[in-house]
Amino acid sequence: MTNIENQQPVVTLTQVAAGYGAALVLDTVSLSVEKGELIGISGRNGSGKSTLIKLILGEIEARQGLVEVLGTPMDTQANRRSVQLNIGYLAQSQRDPSIAISVEESVLLGRWGSNFAWMKRSTGHDRKIAREKLELVGMASLARRDIRTLSGGQRQRVSLARALVRQPKLVLMDEPTTYLDAETKEDLMQSIYSLHAELGITMIVVTHETFSSEFFDRMLFIQDGTLLPMGASS
Amino acid sequence: MIERLALAFSIPVIRYAFFGMLVAGGTLSLLGVIIVSLHLTAIRFTLMHVGLLGAAAGLSLGYSPTLGAFILVIGTSVVMGRLGKEKSLSASSVSGLFMTGSLAGAFLLLAATGVPAMNVFDIFAGNILLMTKGDLIFIIVLGIGILGVFWVAYRELQLVLLDKDLARSLGLPVDAIVTGMFLLLGIGVATALRLVGALLVDAIILLPGIAALRFARNFGMALFLSALFGVLACTGGFFLSLFFNLPLGASAAMVSTLILAMSVLMKRTIH
Repeated sequence: MTNIENQQPVVTLTQVAAGYGAALVLDTVSLSVEKGELIGISGRNGSGKSTLIKLILGEIEARQGLVEVLGTPMDTQANRRSVQLNIGYLAQSQRDPSIAISVEESVLLGRWGSNFAWMKRSTGHDRKIAREKLELVGMASLARRDIRTLSGGQRQRVSLARALVRQPKLVLMDEPTTYLDAETKEDLMQSIYSLHAELGITMIVVTHETFSSEFFDRMLFIQDGTLLPMGASS
Repeated sequence: MIERLALAFSIPVIRYAFFGMLVAGGTLSLLGVIIVSLHLTAIRFTLMHVGLLGAAAGLSLGYSPTLGAFILVIGTSVVMGRLGKEKSLSASSVSGLFMTGSLAGAFLLLAATGVPAMNVFDIFAGNILLMTKGDLIFIIVLGIGILGVFWVAYRELQLVLLDKDLARSLGLPVDAIVTGMFLLLGIGVATALRLVGALLVDAIILLPGIAALRFARNFGMALFLSALFGVLACTGGFFLSLFFNLPLGASAAMVSTLILAMSVLMKRTIH
């Protein structure tokens, strides 16, 4: 296994192709993300944004090319598993969560696989970290609330805390502002920007929405499975 | 009243029925929390129809209709779980496919074999008083199995119910867990069919879960309340049936319905 701390860049995709079944979704994509960068990747629905995230997460394998995340080639199950332990993930907002679960407990779940899993129970230390992350996103006062009673914006802040709770080296966000109203979207992006500035964690945000480039260190556009610098799309 | 109870409990079949209902109420009801949280209410309804086809097949082959229903319901629950994933079908599409197919298959089978349809429809009524000591042991083992699954996979179930994408990103074997839950659901429905009949499966499995999720603020509380409501429905139904000479399945279903109705009146809707 490669030493993650000493490796840069954090994500390297070299001439990568990926897809599902017969469909090719990403076609010879190359990308390099440096440590501490906040990258925005925008593109229409179906352009391959989520596939890119799944590729970096190690949920799917590249058909060709090289994928390296945190200095580790994502070519074996063991490597992918090891990298996953160091990635925080924030998915799009759920419209209507059905499970009864407290805010703190839901954040705690983000540590699954790192310190507890199956028969190995979570500890007071896990809870302490969960509370710290809730504080970081300004949700500590709602720690005991049922997640079903929160607004969409509040739920996404909780998801942000969950993405950070395993002390990740890389955070991936897949459409984090979907289903939120305009004001809440802006607030959430501002929070992501502030957290990035405070923590210095490498973050990649993919979205079909348009945000001000001032939120990001760099913005890319994905079109027909190809990554382009922002402004270079047809 | 005590004399009547003592007399009733001196009869083995009554004791088996009581303990069977008690264990089923306290453990099968936990599955209701999963069904509601994963939006699988259509699937448990489909499994009841599959039970009908299984009963028809059992009778046609000269075996017990309950055994036929049991085997087919469990087998179908696994196939449904896999099909939804591999063919990217929604739970309602999979349900539609199997529900219609099962009913059609049952009627075609009955027509082809000449088995009287009413014999098959007995499965809708259930009969807990036919329960044997072996049945009771099976329910106890199943109950321990269900509790064991919730104990071992408590956090993992929470993760899958909260967000499957997040669970996958953490490396959790989501598809295997969902298939396992379908299997557990199939066994639960098949067992409840035997206890209270197809029409009243919801009384044991679904309604306690719905009521619990209306009161609960966290997952542990939802499971505890679901088990409590399940036990109240089953034991309450049992005593109603005993003292007022009423059908057991219908009595349990009525208590379960009243519990849900009270939860509706007492608590605002969360969603």
